[in-house]
Amino acid sequence: MSQQEQAANAVPAYPGLFTEAQDGVHLMSARCGDCGTHFFPKNHQQHRPGCSRGPVDEVLLHRKGKLASFTTLHYMPPKPFKTEKDITPFPMGMVEFPEGIQVVGIITDCSQDDLKMGMEMETVAYTLYRNEDGQRVQTWGFRPVK
Amino acid sequence: MRDVAIVGVGMHPWGKFEGKNFIDLGVDAVAKALADAGMKWEEIQTICSGIFIWGGNAGHLSGQYIASVFGETGVPIVNVYAACATGSSAMRTAYMSIASGQVDVALCLGVDMSPKGVLTAKSDNPQQDMDVLRWRMVGLSNPPYWALECKKRMEKYGTTERDLADVKVLLSKYGSQNPNARYKKLYTRDEVLGSVMVCDPLRLYEICATSDGAAALILCAADKAKEYASKPVKVAATTIGSSIYGDPTLRISALSAPAKAEAPLLSESYSASRQAYEMAGIGPEDVDVLELPDNSSWHYLQYLETCGFCGEGEAEKMLAKGETEIGGKVAVCPSGGFSSFGEAIGAQAIWQVAEVVTQLRGQCGPRQVKNARVGMAQTYGLMGNSGTTILEV
Ligand SMILES: [Zn+2]
Repeated sequence: MSQQEQAANAVPAYPGLFTEAQDGVHLMSARCGDCGTHFFPKNHQQHRPGCSRGPVDEVLLHRKGKLASFTTLHYMPPKPFKTEKDITPFPMGMVEFPEGIQVVGIITDCSQDDLKMGMEMETVAYTLYRNEDGQRVQTWGFRPVK
Repeated sequence: MRDVAIVGVGMHPWGKFEGKNFIDLGVDAVAKALADAGMKWEEIQTICSGIFIWGGNAGHLSGQYIASVFGETGVPIVNVYAACATGSSAMRTAYMSIASGQVDVALCLGVDMSPKGVLTAKSDNPQQDMDVLRWRMVGLSNPPYWALECKKRMEKYGTTERDLADVKVLLSKYGSQNPNARYKKLYTRDEVLGSVMVCDPLRLYEICATSDGAAALILCAADKAKEYASKPVKVAATTIGSSIYGDPTLRISALSAPAKAEAPLLSESYSASRQAYEMAGIGPEDVDVLELPDNSSWHYLQYLETCGFCGEGEAEKMLAKGETEIGGKVAVCPSGGFSSFGEAIGAQAIWQVAEVVTQLRGQCGPRQVKNARVGMAQTYGLMGNSGTTILEV
């Protein structure tokens, strides 16, 4: 299957959070033109006091950042989190992007033993489950840069 | 502003009470507070009640539902919510009603019955409720938020798994001596380190459970307090803090945080405690008893610093030297803390104040802090909520 066909066969678990660009998956952020703050999700605005609150432009974060913290979850999260099967234990972590924002997400394609604070991570799409139409329902995730 | 004192406290024990409802628990706590103050229900001039979020419309009108059991008198009832700092909001509202001169006597109450298992999302509208996507997209319940901060702390200051376990060991000692605690078992360090890993580095016994519980306080104008209490406890300060821009804490509900710190970690609690120190003219060095929000062992350590009881990275040393024990520099959570009680969202901040009052009255038996004159209750709620209450006798 081509990359295009693969992408067509996948849907985000909620729209407007991450997107596939030519060079891979990016988180969808927004940046305030006045105070310079980046937001994620993009509608979670947290301006600096005194800011005129805009204009706020949608931007993509860098694909890569540094691992700022991580943990391994040993119990299945409750609904509305949904996966095909029990995925525990699984790592999750915070990645610090060059834009000055840390974002939390599931870590994939490695075990906790592979993780080190400060290591380079990249943004990926992570498949949670398949829906009734056979499409992969996805969220964002991170993995160490090989 | 007039001085305000606490003249009555009441508490329903913490635990799981499947045969009861929130009204049963709340009525029990209020009846005990009235009896403690030797006060008649009709003397209550306003009611400030914490909202019980899992109780539908009734829970959101908790004050009305509990008042009607005692008999409706037409007094102002205000129901407030500020996540786990709900009780702090009720407390401040009650305090202000009296300090302003509007009423002489106020009832402040909080009650909660936690749903079974891990808490989860309460709405499904991510456009306005920032508490939805964390569950759906990342499976983020509360403990990983704490684990991620704890891991950062370990990296920065060298906090060890032993430090985290020792918090539980100490708290279990006090909880075992508190008749109202839910968990009364004593733990050794090995037992804590042997408990199941929940989210690295936090183990089962290092994270608080969710409980049912209720607590009530009766506040009174200080010049009338002697009518009700032989030893009134003065409210030296009661404040609410919210977050400050640039706080690097990954706060519960959020999916992101600033990478560069421009404000202190847990800035809502930094703010609440500093407001309280200023209002009371009392500093951490004066505090004999401190109830802090020990949702996990990380919180216990971090809050000592956030509230200025030690410098950054020094909390582990304080713990190891016994400075946080009864008889040490400041007795931290001599109640046994959330570790021994579990969280009961709408009730816990009021329960913390009730515990401090009991200490300042000298009624704590084997876990009494000798000559306790100044006590502090510090709360912490998700999405930038916090409250500090400083009491003195
Ligand atoms: Zn702005």
